Amino acid sequence: MSIDVSGLNKKFGDFVALDDVNVTIPTGQLTALLGPSGGGKSTLLRIIAGLEKADTGSVTIEGVEATHLPAQKRNVGFVFQHYAVFKHMTVAKNVAFGLEIRKRPKDEIEHRVEELLKLVHLSQFAHRLPSQLSGGQRQRMALARALAVEPSVLLLDEPFGALDAKVRKELRDWLRRLHDDVHVTTVFVTHDQEEALEVADEIVVINEGRVEQVGTPDQLYDEPANDFVMSFLGEVTHLGGVSLRPHDLEIDSSPQLAGSVEGTVSRLVRIGFEVRLTVLTVDGDEVSVVVTRAHARAHRIEEGSTVWLTPAAGASVVPRMAAAV
Amino acid sequence: MADTLVHPTVEEPPVEERRRPPRVRKTPVTYLLRFIVTAYLFFLVAWPVSLVVTHTFSDGLGSIRSLLEDPDMVVALQLSAYVAVWSVLINTVFGVGMSLLLVRYEFPGKRLLNSLLDIPLSVSPIVVGLALVLVYGGRNGWLGPTLAGWGLDVIFSTPGIIMATTFVALPLMIRELVPVLEEIGIEQEQAAESLGANGLQRFWRITLPSIKWGITYGVVLTLARSLGEFGAVKVVSGNVLGQTRTATLAVEEKYLNFDQQGAYATAFLLAMVSVACIVVVAIIRPKNHP
Amino acid sequence: MIWFSALVLIPLAAVVVTAIDGGWDVFWSTITNGQTAAAIKLTVFTAAGVTAVNVVMGPLIAWVLVRDRFWGKSVLEVLIDIPFALPTIVAGLVLLSLYGTDSPIGIDIANQRPAVFLAFLFVTLPFVVRMVQPVLEELDRDVEEAAASLGASRFTTFRRIILPSLTPAITAGAALSFARGVSEYGSLVLLSGNLPFKTEVTSVRILSSIENDNVAAAAAVATVLLVISLVVIVVLDLIQRRVAARG
Repeated sequence: MSIDVSGLNKKFGDFVALDDVNVTIPTGQLTALLGPSGGGKSTLLRIIAGLEKADTGSVTIEGVEATHLPAQKRNVGFVFQHYAVFKHMTVAKNVAFGLEIRKRPKDEIEHRVEELLKLVHLSQFAHRLPSQLSGGQRQRMALARALAVEPSVLLLDEPFGALDAKVRKELRDWLRRLHDDVHVTTVFVTHDQEEALEVADEIVVINEGRVEQVGTPDQLYDEPANDFVMSFLGEVTHLGGVSLRPHDLEIDSSPQLAGSVEGTVSRLVRIGFEVRLTVLTVDGDEVSVVVTRAHARAHRIEEGSTVWLTPAAGASVVPRMAAAV
Repeated sequence: MADTLVHPTVEEPPVEERRRPPRVRKTPVTYLLRFIVTAYLFFLVAWPVSLVVTHTFSDGLGSIRSLLEDPDMVVALQLSAYVAVWSVLINTVFGVGMSLLLVRYEFPGKRLLNSLLDIPLSVSPIVVGLALVLVYGGRNGWLGPTLAGWGLDVIFSTPGIIMATTFVALPLMIRELVPVLEEIGIEQEQAAESLGANGLQRFWRITLPSIKWGITYGVVLTLARSLGEFGAVKVVSGNVLGQTRTATLAVEEKYLNFDQQGAYATAFLLAMVSVACIVVVAIIRPKNHP
Repeated sequence: MIWFSALVLIPLAAVVVTAIDGGWDVFWSTITNGQTAAAIKLTVFTAAGVTAVNVVMGPLIAWVLVRDRFWGKSVLEVLIDIPFALPTIVAGLVLLSLYGTDSPIGIDIANQRPAVFLAFLFVTLPFVVRMVQPVLEELDRDVEEAAASLGASRFTTFRRIILPSLTPAITAGAALSFARGVSEYGSLVLLSGNLPFKTEVTSVRILSSIENDNVAAAAAVATVLLVISLVVIVVLDLIQRRVAARG
């Protein structure tokens, strides 16, 4: 059982948001929908939630055909980028909302709210108004609110996008730990590849309305299906017709291996323990190389040095595509 | 007067997010402007209004007391209040519905509707009255005779006054609510939907409470406007003493009958309510926030 | 929606239709009737003059309200809204007490032309101010500071930076002010005496026609006023569209 999306198409006027999307999201896992802004991932999420309707295609949630169900009947929890808190209700009332709609008995509601507020560490704010909370606190409240009704699926739309970097990192870790505790099928949308790589069990890469690749973070990073996935998930450089990672290049002050390419170091920057080089090869490529400080010192690499580059053994390599228009 | 805008050092560092308080530089121009504006408002509004107050109380509370002891006057005041309350009720229901329609939905002719809703603000009250008489007049109106046949007299009776008053106050509630609704957005309602709330629940638990201040201001403004309508009511009511004479009509009548004291006293009562309405809104409306 | 039609659209349509029903001749003769024409002329010119004053005073007042800070400023805010909330008949009485026969400062313009001007000025006071005020409040100070850093004097900054961004609001306010002035009735009843050819405004003419049961004539003149209102609304809409396009 899981979320099954098949044949989904969605257009806004002339703009194609989703183009024949087929994807299965496994139960109980934390899945990221990753891609550039405007790529369609939020649209996909909202269609799964029932907040938007697809033009064609179907959505099945935990075995139940949900394509024509309105959002309120799908039992999905949704967390918005800008929190969508009920401004005129206290934190406790916000969290209790879903339960009150379902006409649960009062003490059950009270108990559950207390439980959830403890889970998200907001117990002492129960009777405050959302306006008195920080952004991070509001988002935790929104999560508690969504979890209150025990949804079969939890959907988060760029949940940390509106927060500053430090809070974002904290909440990211916190979400992972929460998921490990609660085990609800969770799908979250992000354009930050570091976030996806750090938090998700599985990543679905979406670009221009199409699914580019689905896999674990390691799979996507080490075995990218195409140029786009490769460049989106990490640094990419090009050497003689292939794309690879800057840290997957062997650099020597003399030709050690067959097939090395000669070049000159045009720029050298030391950042922490990394040394980032730009090498101009004799073939005319401008290659980025990243090595450790120690390595650079050992081979006495400086600006202007002549060096030889070879792809490292076992490096993930993708044939370079022509530059997109 | 070639001053530049270089300000003297300010204590607090500029904070991008918080709106900077106006850094007031006092030049002769500042004082001049202040003087001109204050004088203008003083001679146009403040002094004349205060004179009404002094005239009313020129022999203590006497004129007001005699006013309230006059049974016809009491009826007039009651009628004004009755009409105003109805106008507020109708305009609130209609206003909320219309505002939601305008903000949340797209449909052909929306801009036209938007413009048309401003009509009551720019139309002469006499024309309003005329229009209503033409349609609902008991003798030759378009719908009047039919309605009269059903026992519903509109013109020259209270329903007509209510209609006229509701008409002139129509845009006020909508103009208050539309900006509020636009600012709130639909996310809260979508969140409620995802939590299982149906349409009615969303409206009652989320939409209405979040616009309650907008509704409050709208109610107060509509009330003030409704109590104060004169021209349209004059045409539509026939000004029958004790039956369709509102407080505003009473002011005119008293003055023309040389009952200056009575006129001032009635005017004072009406003015007091209007000013109270403005002051209430000014006080409860927080600065820089709708 | 049906609601709206019943209350607003049908009656207004009735006015126009009745005017047309009466035939073109009646329409024309009514409008060109000496007394009526005089009333229309008086109304339009006075409203225009008052609007001109408001176009100057309005932004001025808004400026002081937004940019200045002094004790008692909130009183000014209340004063500005009074003409909007005050019953028009009371407004007439209010003005009469200072500018009428018993005036403490000896100015008596009751039953004279200036009275019409004064009444219009009173009731249209808030319109330009309240349109300009929010725009002024939202103005990005950074732009003014940029101008200053480039060497612009305060006056130049006002003329070339601030004023252009206020123009749509001023125009919208002026349109409303004009429409309101042209429609005014209640405040004139006691103040101007409604003397034909001297201080009689269009609304009063319509009323007399109604009271004389001359519905066609009333409708004719009313249609003229409606056309004016319509022009105002169109102008307002155009401005809104322009402003929205500029973003």
